[in-house]
Amino acid sequence: MKKTIIKVLCLVFAVVMVLGCFTACGGGEENYAENNTKIKIGVSGPLTGGAAMYGIAVKNSAQLAVDEINAKGGVDGVMLELVAVDDQHDPTKVSTTYTTLYEGGCQLFLGTVTTAPGIQFKQYALEDEIFYLTPSASGDDIPSSDGGFQMCFTDSNQGTASAKYFNENYSGKKVGIFYKADDDYSVGIKNNFVAGLNSSFGNVVEASFTGEASQFDSQITLLKDCDVIFMPIYYTPASQFMKQGASKVKASAVYFGCDGFDGIDAVEGFDINSIKQEVSYLSHFDSTSTTGPAADYINAYKAKYPDAPLNQFGAAAYDCVYAMVAALESSDEEITATMSAQDFAEILKAEFTSDDFVFHGVTGECVNGQKSTITWNEDGTVNKRAVKYVVKQKS
Amino acid sequence: MKKSLKSFTKHYLNYSVIGAILIVFSIISLVSPMKTSMVFLFQQITVAVIMALSLSLVVGFLGELSLGHAGFMSIGAYLGGKIALVIIEAGDLKSSNILVFIVAVLVGAACAALCGFIVGFAALRLRGDYLAIVTLAFGEIVRVIFTHSDPESFGGALGLKSPSFGMKETFVLVIIGILLILFTLFVIQNLLRSKAGRAITAIRDNEIAAKATGINVTKHKLMVFVISAAFAGVAGVLFSYANSPVKADTFDYNYSIEILVMVVLGGMGSINGSIISAVLITVLNNRLTTILTGDNAVFKDLFYAVILILIVIYNNAPGLKGFREKYNLKNFMNKILKKKHDPSEITNDAARWDVVPTKIEMNEVLSTDIVVDKVGRGDDSADIRERGGNK
Amino acid sequence: MEIIMTIINGLSIGGTYAMIALGYTMVYGIAKMLNFAHGDIIMVGGYTIVLFFPISPIIGVIASVIFCVTVGIVVEKSAYKPLRGASPLAVLITAIGVSKLLQSSAQIFLGSEPRGITFNFGNIQIGSVSISVLTLITILCSVAVMVALTLFVKYTKTGRAMIAVSEDRGAAQLMGINVNFIIMITFIIGSALAAIAGVFLVFKVQDVGTTFGAMPGIKAFAAAVIGGIGSIPGAMVGGLVLGFIEAICGMVPALSPYTDAIEFAILIIVLLVKPTGFLGKKRREKV
Repeated sequence: MKKTIIKVLCLVFAVVMVLGCFTACGGGEENYAENNTKIKIGVSGPLTGGAAMYGIAVKNSAQLAVDEINAKGGVDGVMLELVAVDDQHDPTKVSTTYTTLYEGGCQLFLGTVTTAPGIQFKQYALEDEIFYLTPSASGDDIPSSDGGFQMCFTDSNQGTASAKYFNENYSGKKVGIFYKADDDYSVGIKNNFVAGLNSSFGNVVEASFTGEASQFDSQITLLKDCDVIFMPIYYTPASQFMKQGASKVKASAVYFGCDGFDGIDAVEGFDINSIKQEVSYLSHFDSTSTTGPAADYINAYKAKYPDAPLNQFGAAAYDCVYAMVAALESSDEEITATMSAQDFAEILKAEFTSDDFVFHGVTGECVNGQKSTITWNEDGTVNKRAVKYVVKQKS
Repeated sequence: MKKSLKSFTKHYLNYSVIGAILIVFSIISLVSPMKTSMVFLFQQITVAVIMALSLSLVVGFLGELSLGHAGFMSIGAYLGGKIALVIIEAGDLKSSNILVFIVAVLVGAACAALCGFIVGFAALRLRGDYLAIVTLAFGEIVRVIFTHSDPESFGGALGLKSPSFGMKETFVLVIIGILLILFTLFVIQNLLRSKAGRAITAIRDNEIAAKATGINVTKHKLMVFVISAAFAGVAGVLFSYANSPVKADTFDYNYSIEILVMVVLGGMGSINGSIISAVLITVLNNRLTTILTGDNAVFKDLFYAVILILIVIYNNAPGLKGFREKYNLKNFMNKILKKKHDPSEITNDAARWDVVPTKIEMNEVLSTDIVVDKVGRGDDSADIRERGGNK
Repeated sequence: MEIIMTIINGLSIGGTYAMIALGYTMVYGIAKMLNFAHGDIIMVGGYTIVLFFPISPIIGVIASVIFCVTVGIVVEKSAYKPLRGASPLAVLITAIGVSKLLQSSAQIFLGSEPRGITFNFGNIQIGSVSISVLTLITILCSVAVMVALTLFVKYTKTGRAMIAVSEDRGAAQLMGINVNFIIMITFIIGSALAAIAGVFLVFKVQDVGTTFGAMPGIKAFAAAVIGGIGSIPGAMVGGLVLGFIEAICGMVPALSPYTDAIEFAILIIVLLVKPTGFLGKKRREKV
């Protein structure tokens, strides 16, 4: 009896699988967008788990940009639609998220929010010959001259730029580095930073942590005598370090971060004035801006998503959507909602690599309330000016 | 004739079903390519099935709880992937070279088997939860070591950029994966039907009695751990070819637990059950990711958790026995097939080797004693159980 | 001086682990299950203190204990009680389900961004050593909790009933002990301890996210096993052992990235030398 049941179950199961295969059959180079009524923009990012705040900021900001563009009549009269899928900052989820987006008819891609999944995304994207403009996957492996573009600085650029700043401004001081050893972003910047420092610095003290560690006693003990502490990490662990080290680290020390620091003064439950040290960072966006284009974006975002996380990831995603739309509008090709992702890729690639394509966005250095000037290199990396933001002077 | 059919269904049904799927899949892939998403799903299923099969050997048949199975997979994925990279680089070969893949599988399986041997030694001394925490610890140690490995050798935190067949050729990986499932099934099923298999289930049911009848407990326990780890290593290599980069964080204890869930939901000690539940859970995870996009993504874990809890309670709650007997798949199928209930049929065949429920017991009692027992080295020497300690 | 600092750090980390491990060990000993959701009760406690902290720290602590206990009771009644008498593995899987449920609920209700508080207890100077007041409070509190719990289990009627249920559930029931009530009490005590541990962790870390309790939960499980699962003093010993390892690894820069691996490696070594942990009971196996 039981055997019969198992037999029947297995057979049914087999039939279902086989049927599933047949119905799922599709042509090799099918245009999945042929039934679209809007241009679909796809993004894969961490919407749950430890890195969710970055993915959610990107999703919200891209949605904000999409809504604004739609309100103005879309691209050549065609409306936009955003599809965001959750990769949990795990490269192994990308095979699912990528196919969900691509076969779901997405034509424009924001790639992934974080680097490790981005490497996998790039492989698939290159095989399908699609174009992506990632807001925040900053790894050196992410950009590609075949259609992979970045809105953020690559890690090596950030590390080198910071080292240059240190060479010019902190020469001879005792430098410490606090980084996340299992994060490609952090390690990437750190390595380039160390390589870029000149000989005046002598021994650099390195302290690291891994995972979502939150007790930094030992690292604080190591770094407490440093004059400048370089922190190529995101703001959450950084704020924890500062809180825990408030009374232990030298009061005259400088915490110097990268774009991951943006939003550190808005961390809930962290009063940045409760610590004595100076906090600065080199970045392309300041999420506490009160003037200029950045502030316009921030106000619009806050009005739409009052409780959601706000950080430079979101600003970059906002710029990404506008940049792609600007490229589509400046091209002579006619845009329809049913064009394939490859067609869009050709247009965008031609525009982004052309010499006269200049995009004005909210990230980068905005002078006199004007939008910043952003261009792209042939290899997919971005050209814009980084700014040193002083979050808090020493007190 | 009827007897031979019965014996066929008993022994070869799972082979034939999987074989049929393999043939159908190969034909379709060669005639007109499937949607990439389907190929990826099949690929994830093959890895999950091999993992579930290998873990079910330890949990279902040896009766030991292992919470670090992903650690073996991690070893296979990293070392197998690395050796493939080295060979490809040295010989300037294509990354989809099948021979390289075979070498990688062999190396990955061997390395994982070696680790299985070491963990198996722990299993000789420890039982139940103590062994469970040791396996969990093993998995975490492997994870931490690979995470902090030298970026030049194993990619460090960035993960190992393992070789890949490419997206368009993933279907080859699926075909290899299904072949490997058949091989795993062949080895495990034949092992369990052999004398060694009966010894293994005897150890599970009563270790002391098994020892008393002359079964070599050491040998059989080590054998199970080595074989199980080797197949986890094979799954790891398969995984490493399908995903690039391979990050050590993927193989944390949550992943081990996910495989354990497949084995437990499939019915402890049931090979076909493990396969089916591995397929269903992988499909469920995949569907949840695909369907719940944007703002709804946060509900994915919630749905998964609720489904998991409800299934376990439905399957196991003693209070729902009557409910379970009334509303189950069997009755439902009978209704559809219009079969009448035949009371003369024996429903539980005690002689079957694959449906015996496993008992993993938790016996430790609460105590407030700080006096350590004076216990000799002997295994079951006459140490007297102290009751609580407060007299 | 560094040695003193290491010892004090170790005591403080170990005390926190010990409190979580106590919950593990008691639930294990009495309900005979591995409560993998225990770490997420810590997370619940952490979120509660963060939300109520602006009102008043004391109210925050109380609310955190009350809320954790409520969650503990609800989980026990809805997810674990239907499975009483079922295979321990089934209960283990349910516990994993509950753990995922609590984490995703936290994200749905409270958002993805970690919540934090800023609160500085200040330091006191003893000789040349400056010790954070929080560390001292943690140590004192964990010692007090452990002494109270030992006395409770040893000398009160409920405590002795707990040991009886743990030894032999059936016989205890025949003796007129309400087993369900005892198991519920166990969960209440476990959840309350997790809440207190969560509060201390939050004060130390000052931030709480959805996976806040996962690693401390696993570490505490390891601590309970090192000490001999089921043994109350064992949980304390195990917690302190892990605490000291963590403190020592933290002092040596070369070791600090490998802290987790070292802790787990020592766990394996301890278990291989002493298969039932430091204070575990070796039980005779019946044929």
